[in-house]
Amino acid sequence: MTTDGNSWNPTRRRLLQAGAVLGTAQLASPFVQLARAADVVRIGMDNPLTGTYAALGKNEQTGAQMAVDQINAKGGILGRKVELLIEDSTSGDAGVAVQKARKLIDRDQVNFIIGNVNSALAQAIANVANEKRVFHVVPGGHTDSVTGKNCHWSTFRVCNTTQTEANAVASALVKKAGKKWYYLTPDYAFGHTLQAGLEAAGKKLGVTKVGGALTPLGTTDFSSYLIKAQAANPDVIIFLQAGDDAVNALKQAVQFGLNKRFHLAGAQQELEVLEGLPPEARVGTWVFEWYWNQPNVPHVADFVAETRKRTGGHVPTARHYFGHTAIWTCALAAQKANSLDAVKMARAMQGFELPPEIALMPDGAFYRAGQNQMIGDLYVGHAQSKGASDPEDLFVVDQVVDGKKVSPTLAETMCHQDWPKA
Amino acid sequence: MKFDLRQNALNIVIWVLLITMPAWMNAIGGYTQLGTQVVIMGLAAMALNFLLGHTGVLSFGHAAYFGLGAYGVGMTIRYLDASTPLGLLVGVLAGAVAAALIGPLIVRRRGVYFAMVTIAFGQVFYFIAVRWNTVTGGDDGLTNWHRQNIDLGLFKINIMDSAIHFYYFALVIFALAVGLMASILHSPFGRTLIAIRENERRTRFIGINVNFHIWMSWLVSCTFMALAGALFALQNNFVDPHSLYWTQSGIFVIMCVLGGMRSFWGPLVGAAIYVVLQDYLSSLVSDYWQFFIGLVFVAVVLFFPRGVMGMLRRRAVE
Repeated sequence: MTTDGNSWNPTRRRLLQAGAVLGTAQLASPFVQLARAADVVRIGMDNPLTGTYAALGKNEQTGAQMAVDQINAKGGILGRKVELLIEDSTSGDAGVAVQKARKLIDRDQVNFIIGNVNSALAQAIANVANEKRVFHVVPGGHTDSVTGKNCHWSTFRVCNTTQTEANAVASALVKKAGKKWYYLTPDYAFGHTLQAGLEAAGKKLGVTKVGGALTPLGTTDFSSYLIKAQAANPDVIIFLQAGDDAVNALKQAVQFGLNKRFHLAGAQQELEVLEGLPPEARVGTWVFEWYWNQPNVPHVADFVAETRKRTGGHVPTARHYFGHTAIWTCALAAQKANSLDAVKMARAMQGFELPPEIALMPDGAFYRAGQNQMIGDLYVGHAQSKGASDPEDLFVVDQVVDGKKVSPTLAETMCHQDWPKA
Repeated sequence: MKFDLRQNALNIVIWVLLITMPAWMNAIGGYTQLGTQVVIMGLAAMALNFLLGHTGVLSFGHAAYFGLGAYGVGMTIRYLDASTPLGLLVGVLAGAVAAALIGPLIVRRRGVYFAMVTIAFGQVFYFIAVRWNTVTGGDDGLTNWHRQNIDLGLFKINIMDSAIHFYYFALVIFALAVGLMASILHSPFGRTLIAIRENERRTRFIGINVNFHIWMSWLVSCTFMALAGALFALQNNFVDPHSLYWTQSGIFVIMCVLGGMRSFWGPLVGAAIYVVLQDYLSSLVSDYWQFFIGLVFVAVVLFFPRGVMGMLRRRAVE
């Protein structure tokens, strides 16, 4: 202490306050962004990490991170290191998804944007990406319009359109179960288009719709819908729910004993859902978009082994595959265009055939020109309560359907792309 | 009237911060849209606080009017005429008309009953937006429209492409709305509302028509809410039914409580805290960010029941 009268005399309270301020400043440091090196390629992932699609979103993220690590191990994108930025879009709030997309594009200056599991959110992000001219990949949001009526030159999609899935599964259902169908449909874009797709595919095979109910996203109690379905006395009750909704719906249907009286089925099914079900509820005819147990397809075993290392021994699901393929799509686009310009990259990807170690499907996969939709194989089969060789082998592939044969034609998709004049 | 610097210090600080925002926002790791979000959510929270803090009536259905404003502007630009001012006008009118019609049905209720009836009416609009797929886009939201530039004759405001232009556009509207709100609060009408808040029975005995005043306050509050909603839709170029959902109403109430319901600027501070915290936390801990927001809210309610502004004021008095 100096003897000066105006000396700074720290009281205990002052010191505590200063300590608190310093402590807060430490917390704030990630917010105060350090200048980022310009030699980094950034990929923004705007995907659900909370809510009904959290499990699917996290698996896509694991697959994406794996792809990023693979790309970095091979020297990055155009010689630059790749960095994956993650944002939670929530499972159903498109306002948040849009805000996060703008944050990634405007603040973080990402070169690519990935998202979303929820079709509605995928469409919302696609519109932002198109407005901002950012290369966008939808890993797993299925509604037709994303690469159909509302398609953009800037948006590419890995997972199938709902119409393709419906076409793939419809004939198997008629053969196995019958022609009177009842629909339980989640009340948003994905559900609506999936039902419309099944109705269109079914009509060609002489299927009649005996009824249907729309269930809000996030429904936990399906009993009233199941009673209605029962009363309609169909051959097949079609479940179009995804994520936790599908788990709840199927679990309750089996508790009601509906699987003994009707054929339970649906279009799209996921390993996450089957794993979430009690063994007796793993029933029905479904279509998988990718399945890990493909002993005759090269590179699949490597992909499974590498995923197991990251997931504590779990096999990859279609969601891991989507995330992985989405990131590799970005890397391959930059490589082929030899540029990070979104328009040049999108042009380079028209009709692009994915290399076999990325496609991981018996007939390969490519991005259809004029629509930016990936077309690969689909796996039609039935669920089983217990795997013979592996506890996670819960699906039996009865038939691999070539996507080229069941996809709607380019004219049928009604996709019209407005390319910017360069 | 003499200008008292000490009394106006807070106003000056807030306006200086708001006006210079684009200059420092990027330096501290934010981005212009985040500032716009704060201004718009601040306007919404202040609109709610007109009813909640200054009239003492709790509404849990204000998101309905926020959403009506948003759908009003979106549908006008999409279906009627690609004009931003017309869209804003239609959005605000939609919210105001709905509030004026619903008001008489609910002003006789008090306390939790009022809150519940407001939720019920709010959900009506939510389900209309979700079910009326062909017009509102249903759960997917209303897309394929875009805010339009404003032509003022002498010069054009390029709000379509420039985030900074849109920020100042929102800020000017915010300033007009907040100025209007402040002058209403300082009028005899505003004083009557505060009297209702402090002691409703006594106010009634003086001979004031309490229900009519609550209806008027509700109408003013919902109208400003619709304005905020319209700006929100313009910012995102997108509307979805979530903006009408009752949980969104809850978020507005949280903003008011965080900032301080008794203070004029409290809700703006609360909105800033909420928006920035959400933005920051969801990047930092993407899985659990909602947990931390809840934690902050609980901490504020426990330790600063009058909100951040209430706490600051108490400090100043001491």
